[in-house]
Amino acid sequence: MMPLIEITEEEISIDQLMRRARRPEAGAIVSFTGTVRDDGIEQMVVEAFPEAAKAEMQAIVDEATGRFSLLSAGVVHRTGSLAVGESIVAIVCSAAHRQEAFDGCRYIIEELKSRVPIWKKEIGKDGGRWVEGMR
Amino acid sequence: MRIKVLAFAGFREALGKERELDVRDGATVGEALQALAESLPRFKEEAFEQSGAIRDYVLLMVNRKRIDPLQDLSRRLQDGDELAVFPPVAGG
Repeated sequence: MMPLIEITEEEISIDQLMRRARRPEAGAIVSFTGTVRDDGIEQMVVEAFPEAAKAEMQAIVDEATGRFSLLSAGVVHRTGSLAVGESIVAIVCSAAHRQEAFDGCRYIIEELKSRVPIWKKEIGKDGGRWVEGMR
Repeated sequence: MRIKVLAFAGFREALGKERELDVRDGATVGEALQALAESLPRFKEEAFEQSGAIRDYVLLMVNRKRIDPLQDLSRRLQDGDELAVFPPVAGG
């Protein structure tokens, strides 16, 4: 079974994350999936510093769990070569009420984008270009 | 002493994913980066300004903890330390 915090070259299973988010006390499960958008690209290559990225993802999940009283939170980030439409990242949060679940999911994706050591390269007909990151 | 250098994204393309670097005992982070720049002109061009200052998009970790590329270049490294060099993150 896929760990709740994972960096993987395999296709992401949102269904598995959703199943694992279910709790008797939960009244809401919110998911976010980031996908490869067709900006005239042929593929997207995703690279991570896996050990450091997983530690940072865990820290973000811990923060979100405390701030928004989440009952569970899972984050899976893909690496390797992805086609247009494939999932890059999936986040699933459960909480007693929808507000916390939405807020937790939002917090995790925003913090992930600014803190977790992962990079994307867009591959087009004329070669590759690293996506400019946040400082 | 010997440290391990990890590089990611554009800096990996210049430095390679992982390399060992021999530096003098007590060498600083800044000295290690200079040594890399001297042996790899492509890295020098990407990581340093013409003035010799480190570019503001060079991010660093020592033993997987972020350090400040402006404040902490004088930090001393120890034998076996892992120095990671990467640009601003862009996941998600």
